[in-house]
Amino acid sequence: MTNPVSRREFLNLLGAYGGTSAVLQAGVALGFMPSSSQAAEITLQANNGKKVAILGTGISALTTAWELTKAGYGCTLLEASHRPGGRMFTVRSGTVIDEIGNYQRCEWDNDPHLYFNAGAARIPSIHSNVLKYCKELEVELQVFVNESKTAWVQDDAMNGGKPVRNTDYSSSMQGFISEMLSKALGDSQLDSSLTESESEILLSMLRRFGDLNEDMLYKGSTRAGYGSGGFLDHGTKKDVVALRDLLKARNGGSVMVTTQEGTGSGPLLMQPVGGMDRIIYAFANRLRDRIKFRAPVTEVMVKGDGVEVAYEQNGVTEVLKADYCFNCIPSHLMSGIPNNFPTDYSEALNYIRRGRAYKAAFQAKERFWEKENIYGGITWVNAPIQQIWYPPHNIHGKKGVVLAAYNFGGANYTEMSQEDRIEDLLKHGEKVHPNYREMAEKPMTIAWHRMNHMLGCAPRWARNRGGWSDKEEQMYETLRQPVNGRHYLIGDQSTQHSAWMESAIQSAHYALADLDQRVRSEPA
Amino acid sequence: MKKLMTSTTLFLSVLCSAASLAAEGDIGVAAAMDDRYCTTCHGVEGLGNIAIEAPRLAGMEAWYLKRQLENFRAGIRGKHGEDLQGNAMRPMAAKLSDESITDIVDWIGDWEYVPAEATIEGNVRQGRTAFQACAACHGANAQGNEALGAPALAGQNDWYLLTQLRNFRAGFRGSHQEDTFGSQMVTMSKTLRDDQAVINVVSYINTL
Ligand SMILES: Cc1cc2nc3c(=O)[nH]c(=O)nc-3n(C[C@H](O)[C@H](O)[C@H](O)COP(=O)(O)OP(=O)(O)OC[C@H]3O[C@@H](n4cnc5c(N)ncnc54)[C@H](O)[C@@H]3O)c2cc1C
Ligand code: HEC
Ligand code: HEC
Repeated sequence: MTNPVSRREFLNLLGAYGGTSAVLQAGVALGFMPSSSQAAEITLQANNGKKVAILGTGISALTTAWELTKAGYGCTLLEASHRPGGRMFTVRSGTVIDEIGNYQRCEWDNDPHLYFNAGAARIPSIHSNVLKYCKELEVELQVFVNESKTAWVQDDAMNGGKPVRNTDYSSSMQGFISEMLSKALGDSQLDSSLTESESEILLSMLRRFGDLNEDMLYKGSTRAGYGSGGFLDHGTKKDVVALRDLLKARNGGSVMVTTQEGTGSGPLLMQPVGGMDRIIYAFANRLRDRIKFRAPVTEVMVKGDGVEVAYEQNGVTEVLKADYCFNCIPSHLMSGIPNNFPTDYSEALNYIRRGRAYKAAFQAKERFWEKENIYGGITWVNAPIQQIWYPPHNIHGKKGVVLAAYNFGGANYTEMSQEDRIEDLLKHGEKVHPNYREMAEKPMTIAWHRMNHMLGCAPRWARNRGGWSDKEEQMYETLRQPVNGRHYLIGDQSTQHSAWMESAIQSAHYALADLDQRVRSEPA
Repeated sequence: MKKLMTSTTLFLSVLCSAASLAAEGDIGVAAAMDDRYCTTCHGVEGLGNIAIEAPRLAGMEAWYLKRQLENFRAGIRGKHGEDLQGNAMRPMAAKLSDESITDIVDWIGDWEYVPAEATIEGNVRQGRTAFQACAACHGANAQGNEALGAPALAGQNDWYLLTQLRNFRAGFRGSHQEDTFGSQMVTMSKTLRDDQAVINVVSYINTL
């Protein structure tokens, strides 16, 4: 019989976290929908005379160009790279990863299923503006499986380093949490704050949540799969795993929470069929003649009646004159480009830090995970590689691309050589799948901190964990105001929830609304 | 009506190009990358970029530039675990060939030298006194001295000079066995009593 943590110990713990009554009082009423769940209606005044310079071809820039072009503005997009899309980047046969000092060309089989979303990969269902453009531009979507109960959890400290199934971990953890909470429900402090019927409902929910027995004890669950049988024969329950053993895994939080921050999306998200850059090319194909590639911006001068942007192409410096400028060049790169922005604007630009992120992927010789009953989802590894993702598409096909590392803090990968990165992902991966090394063909890696023309992942505004300081809020407002009514900073860098495509698109909509209002109020 | 026309024309031009682009993946096949990627970090014409903490390169002496690139490549500089900025630069030089270094040094030689803006304010008078110990090698106007292997300091980004002096003092730069030039600076940086003295001497260099 397991009696992992005594009730007293648990109550002491609750006390340390401020008790439960605080939780009961602090809630707000249910029933409101976040505003982002509605896609924006863009109604720009049709206008043919105005010229707009758009710097970079991130999703915010492409959104801007698309909307303005539809309204009849004359747009020119300047892009430093050979490709559009910035952080929406898909690697497939022939793609070049121009990481500085670590140039790689992808030599995977030429097959539409074999791709790696090296930047953005997942679309939550409430990111209505991303979805709106997918619909408008006919980008086909499919389900992305963010959680699989048959995927693995691995920590060298747990189970002798052998992986356990997600469901073994999560069903047991749910059982233990429910058992402990139902014991605590007998406590006077919690009792007095709940009515009898509330307690009853809570208890019955806990029983189902944890799969507890009549006595509200967790004695194992068939949700973790059967020990034996299950179809022709009766299924038998697996032995109960000791809570103490599960508590050795230090990455349990990631296993238990699959919902992305602020998205309410849970285990199911979406992805474009064929790669995230299908969205980028849906825009770029329609704007094709307006985009100049390999045209890095080298100076931005805001004038009284417009903007002058210098850029380089084929070794020659050209100047683009426009009435307005929309700029999604990452702030930390803009700091190295001469400009005449006001001091407070430059200070705010220089303040934003660049986040790190690292991903790696390989082409698998065979879909070995399917033989382990895994079809999509994430394996959690307590090592810097952190995650292994299995492709949810092309089930039972020949090969598949496995995401072999995703570290959103970047760890030490930025400085590592390609050889060391590959050895690192194989070494940790084979703790989960014994035949991993043999299955892995041509690994590709990407450290966003070193990606040419990006040099970072999520822009980081707040320096303190506690949230945004007043000064930061103020700088943010400064950057949201166009310089001289002419230069708009766009991209997820000018939003308060970075690292989402939705934020980048909304930043464009915000700036477009401001422009539209200015244009409308101009004397005819 | 006009609006409608625009989108129809747009749509037609899409149909023609979409297939080829979608198959290709990348618009314009990426050419083999050359090694002239320095400005992404060091700013347009190497003017320096505070947000990346990458210093001004324009105007830098060819001999000093070459030595630093070779030292980064060999792991003589930028390898210490606490040298965060050096850690960022070292992999950038790791794969450069000798020819590439020669090419880069030439290329950088074409850039226009613009002295960096001052961002640090300390006690210039005290800094001037402290600088007397530095002038022997770096020159009275901090213009550098090739014979002694000491680079120019005047006109360099002051935030960068600050990191270097702090790193020399802490042994994050200059403590590699083969870093003969850096090790001299480790000794010299210790003539600066504390961090305030470092700020003061950099403030004085700003006036040169
Ligand atoms: C690893 C990773 C995972 C992510 N996962 C998700 C996800 O699952 N879902 C999601 O919604 N979002 C995700 N994101 C975030 C999403 O990719 C970004 O928020 C979004 O793509 C940012 O778009 P942007 O418009 O700000 O421009 P960016 O993509 O930042 O584009 C900037 C552009 O500026 C160009 N540029 C730079 N210098 C110059 C110059 N001198 N001249 C001209 N052009 C220049 C660059 O080449 C680039 O095209 C992820 C990002 C990363 C890196
Ligand atoms: C990823 C960004 C990045 C790239 C790309 C980069 N550097 Fe650097 N570089 C840095 C940083 C950061 C420093 C500062 C190191 C320190 O503070 O010690 C630096 C320092 C240097 C220094 C030392 C300057 C001095 O005064 O000692 C030289 C020289 C240099 N870089 C040259 C280059 C050249 C040449 C290239 C292109 C081949 C290049 N860098 C590419 C980030 C970069
Ligand atoms: C004995 C000669 C000598 C003296 C004295 C000296 N330096 Fe140096 N200094 C050097 C040399 C040599 C280098 C180049 C190190 C290298 O190549 O890595 C250097 C490098 C530096 C650098 C780094 C420059 C760069 O671009 O990265 C700074 C900053 C610096 N010195 C400041 C000072 C200051 C301040 C003093 C006085 C307190 C001082 N030095 C005294 C020889 C000297």
